[in-house]
Amino acid sequence: MRGVTAMVFRLLTLAITLVVLASRPASALPTMIRIGYMDCASCHISPQGGGPLNAYGRGIDEAQSLRAQDYQPTPDRRLTHDVRLVLQEQGTWNGQTGTNFFRPRLMYRNATNLSRALRVSAIVTAEGADAPRPALSYDPAARPSTLFVNTALLHYRPRESLEFAIGRDQLPSGVNLPDLAIYVRSRNRLGYYDAPTQLKMYWGAKRYHVMPFVYTAGGNEPAGEAETGGGTLAEFDLLGHSRTVAGLTVQRGTASNGDRRMVGAYARVGFGRWGVLAEHDITDRTRNGPTLAAFTQAATYGQVFWAVREWLVASGIGERLTVDAPFEQRLAAGKAEIAARLSSQATIVVGVRFERNLITRRLAKTAVVQTAFKTVK
Amino acid sequence: MTSTFVWSRPIAALAVAVFAVTTFAAAQSADQGSLVEVKNGTAAFEVGTNVGAISVHGKSNDLTARLRMRQSPEGAVLEGIEAAVPVKSLGTGMGLRDNHMRKYIFTTSDGQQPDVRFSADKAVCTKADARQSTCELTGNLAIRGTERPFTVVLKVSEDGDTLRAVGDGKVTLSAYGIERPSQLGVTTEDNVKLRFDLTAKQTGSRPVATSGRRQ
Repeated sequence: MRGVTAMVFRLLTLAITLVVLASRPASALPTMIRIGYMDCASCHISPQGGGPLNAYGRGIDEAQSLRAQDYQPTPDRRLTHDVRLVLQEQGTWNGQTGTNFFRPRLMYRNATNLSRALRVSAIVTAEGADAPRPALSYDPAARPSTLFVNTALLHYRPRESLEFAIGRDQLPSGVNLPDLAIYVRSRNRLGYYDAPTQLKMYWGAKRYHVMPFVYTAGGNEPAGEAETGGGTLAEFDLLGHSRTVAGLTVQRGTASNGDRRMVGAYARVGFGRWGVLAEHDITDRTRNGPTLAAFTQAATYGQVFWAVREWLVASGIGERLTVDAPFEQRLAAGKAEIAARLSSQATIVVGVRFERNLITRRLAKTAVVQTAFKTVK
Repeated sequence: MTSTFVWSRPIAALAVAVFAVTTFAAAQSADQGSLVEVKNGTAAFEVGTNVGAISVHGKSNDLTARLRMRQSPEGAVLEGIEAAVPVKSLGTGMGLRDNHMRKYIFTTSDGQQPDVRFSADKAVCTKADARQSTCELTGNLAIRGTERPFTVVLKVSEDGDTLRAVGDGKVTLSAYGIERPSQLGVTTEDNVKLRFDLTAKQTGSRPVATSGRRQ
């Protein structure tokens, strides 16, 4: 264990050095809908979002930082990569006990163009503490790993509006927030270690895009939980001003230990300095056992955000989770969060979260400080 | 290619003028022209790019206009129409992009940033029904000091003492000798869509001020 700790510190030292020596904007967010960026494809190389930004995205990201200056692109358009360091300090209190949690993560992100239409991409994460999604009896978490390949994809883009990708990655999801701990993600197999093998397509136009996908196991699922399935995501700009996006998701997955069928609706709406992100997913699940259990899970997410400054965004977030018997759960959560893009290389997020178990009436309070740094041209 | 993301439009001024006209029509006698002044009108613009999912939106809530209005047998007549939008009032929600816009779209060769201005000698409005009128304003629109012919049709509706004028227009950048802005591979289209949405309340017999309606 000491060896792992020493390795993490070495990696941290390396990352901090890179941060100092190089510059690279922080990543964009769905909150960019407020100024008319209606989906991730505008700024990210991958149309699903996540991973490195394209040149235009880096320019926008730089412009949205406190420093707000022109971005000077590198002449090499074949290789885009960076190193990202995320340091998360979290304290949780439930009235009886308190726990502290420090989670350093170091990520290498790469997108390499092999030709005009072909490219490969990868995200590899080394981390100092595991953050699996909740270990549920009806949906055990995927196995964490100190060194984890989040993304390894081969992309084929015959034209700007059409892309196919095959490999391992997170599945496409609705409002597509980077916080994987929220109910709509963590309770729908969209946690940090969920990276199923998949084939997906992106087809987009000015006012819509669709993203159908099929998938199978990623290899780190517990016994009996390897899932095979498919689904699609489709979203549309309702008013045609790139600020009123509504979408639907459907997904069906089958595993030895149980199946799930999810239907979700989501919206991203922007009004200049503020906006709303919302998602509601309903999942019908079956769980095999001595007797077959069939039950429904509903997860809701709502966020109102306000750009106090271009680089400073405050949010109020509400969540709700309902799981029917025999795995009954009733959770409600509220969160206040401030995200500041201090420079093109560094962001900091401070948040407090309150989660109430509506069955036991227990209240858990969490405070989180997360800093993120990016490097490399 | 220069870098930038946004533009402005003088069309707002036109909208203001139209609105003012409507207001006046409700208040004045046939021969007597009345001066109408409009403040805080809204002009919005949208321009597409070569990337399908990216378009640029912006607006100003600082459009002003002056005109003289009188009634004639054909309907309300607007004369001496002048409207302006200060370049600095145009915004897209991104400060750096706004700076680019002002620098590459609205700055003259000698470094000045004159207001976007619209002027027209005369316009006649026709009543579509008891509460709605249509006004076609044909005049000149000046961007960074260069004038080009410009027309906007405004639909003016009346609801009690409130008047609302809505109109759409289009500006072609190349007509003004303005190069299409380009930023890191994203280049705007040549045509910029404009939209005006203005409201005003009649106070006694002189409607004198309007306010913009947010897009």
